[in-house]
Amino acid sequence: MNKHFVVGVFDEEAQLMAAVNETQKKGFQIQEIYSPYPVYEAIEAMGRKTRFTTAAFLYGLFGALGVLAFMYYTAVIDWPINYGGKPTNAFPSFLVVTIVITILVVTLASLFTFSVRAKIFPGKSFVLPDVRSTDDKFVMVFNNPDNKNDFEALARILKDEGAVEVYEKNIEPEN
Amino acid sequence: MYKTEVRGPLILGDKNYHQISSDIIAPINKPVPLWWKVAFGISNLALLFGVIAIYQTVAVGIGTWGVNNSVSWAWEIINFVWWIGIGHAGTAFSIFLLVLRQKWRTSINRAAEAMTVVAVLCAAIFPALHMGRVWLAFYIFPYPNTRGPLWVNFNSPLIWDFIAISAYLLISASFWYFGMVPDFATIRDRTTSKIKKAVYGFFAFGWVGTTREWLRFEALAYVLGGIAAVLVVSVHSIVATDFAVSVIPGWHTTVFPPYFVVGAIFSGFAMVMTLMIIIRKMYKFQDYVTDNHLNAIAKILIFISLIMGTAYATEAFIAWYSGNPYEIFTFFRNRATGDYAPEYWIMIVCNALVPQLFWFKKVRRNLTAAFIISIIINIGMWFERYNIIITSLAKDFLPSSWVTYSPTWVEVGVFAGTLGLFGTGVLLFFKFIPMMAISELKGVLKVTSYNTHDKKHISHE
Repeated sequence: MNKHFVVGVFDEEAQLMAAVNETQKKGFQIQEIYSPYPVYEAIEAMGRKTRFTTAAFLYGLFGALGVLAFMYYTAVIDWPINYGGKPTNAFPSFLVVTIVITILVVTLASLFTFSVRAKIFPGKSFVLPDVRSTDDKFVMVFNNPDNKNDFEALARILKDEGAVEVYEKNIEPEN
Repeated sequence: MYKTEVRGPLILGDKNYHQISSDIIAPINKPVPLWWKVAFGISNLALLFGVIAIYQTVAVGIGTWGVNNSVSWAWEIINFVWWIGIGHAGTAFSIFLLVLRQKWRTSINRAAEAMTVVAVLCAAIFPALHMGRVWLAFYIFPYPNTRGPLWVNFNSPLIWDFIAISAYLLISASFWYFGMVPDFATIRDRTTSKIKKAVYGFFAFGWVGTTREWLRFEALAYVLGGIAAVLVVSVHSIVATDFAVSVIPGWHTTVFPPYFVVGAIFSGFAMVMTLMIIIRKMYKFQDYVTDNHLNAIAKILIFISLIMGTAYATEAFIAWYSGNPYEIFTFFRNRATGDYAPEYWIMIVCNALVPQLFWFKKVRRNLTAAFIISIIINIGMWFERYNIIITSLAKDFLPSSWVTYSPTWVEVGVFAGTLGLFGTGVLLFFKFIPMMAISELKGVLKVTSYNTHDKKHISHE
């Protein structure tokens, strides 16, 4: 089901942010902002939040406990080896492997989380409203208001704030 | 006063966003230049020599090497430590500067990380071959096996080493790759070639650059940056414990882990400098790799060189101060004045003295001089590992077990092969992957290292 969208194209980050603030003030719902590099104010304005760091901490916690448990199982329970009469549960020297594997677990799990949450994975079919947004343009996409007057009001705001182009487009929504 | 221009603009030439994409992608779209073909040919020949040497090692055995009962670790371990050291800097560079919010990393981090991945691959070849029966190398994985199950000994630094290096390779490769995803999308959306669109499109994983993606991309970068900083320090510390937990004079020192980490970063930064000068010269990227960038690397090299000098002096001092006759013999009779004096003094001159030339602004600004010094540092670092490994083993406690060591053609061949592999990998990187992080460059286009706080819209950190 195709939906109708309004696309505003900007040359500069500052103009984009002015337009974002202005349209939000007037009550327009921004669907998404596409930029060639991360624009933190745009991310904030869109109300995007992430609990990535909490997730990473939990991965690390479980990773560390898991690795320690595994080493305890192999070295103490499953096949204890007596080397030089030292204790089989050689906790201090287990720490080295624990640190490294914890980092590995956090990395792999974070990458997986990123892939799931940002929806970035091989073979993904994607929608890019304006192909120039990965190069040098900042692009705002709005749900097209049903009322024609509203579209004109929106287009005027975007133009006033420095949009180089404003156009309507049919886009197949991502999900 | 606080507005002093420390590094100046990060990108010269009054670029706009579109130009940045065009400049960085240009080498991918152009046919390869002649120097590239020549270098690729030479690298492939070296690689071929390496393959023959590896075939000889695997088919006949470790007996084809010059190692013996006393000097049981030699050329291979020198080269292993050397490559790991070089492989260290890419991630160290990228991550420490990311954590410290140093924006000048943006034009260098991609190449440094590429260098890391290839160098760690080169390094991994040596311990695998050194196991003797490389086809049984998987025994080192702690997996439920039919031999008991007999688990690996988690108290052994050799196991730590294996785990650390495998983890390091995986982590630096994925950190590198995910940084490239937005750039692949840029290539996908700009190219007119159908093949490139399909290939880069596949590797771009459907990236479009929404706020949703960027937010998580940045979060991922910081999480990985934060924890990989720990990894960078721990990996080479672990390599150092391979030596430091033994009782061999010259190895059994507590200074080893930090000394190895600093040495690794030293050689790696020198290699980063070598590579960046090549990239700047050959691809005319002087607007991106500015004099200020090279200046900053040179200043770091001075500092690390001083630490290296201090470490060498500390080792010698502690050997004397301990009063231990074996330590005194190793450091003063064997290394500094004995049979291995030339190698010892090459190490001191190359690592502790020559880089001090960077104190002079003229030397820092002279590309040829900087290039030569960066190569000298890596030669010096190779000799440092030679000193540590060969001198301690060749003359240890019992004069009856003293031997000499010289490498065979097979050992030289494996090393040449890894140099070839490194060259091949780096050249392929030049051709097929954007050499600088395009999206990050765009983020710092309107920011310099000194006016960040004045700017209303702080862009990409």
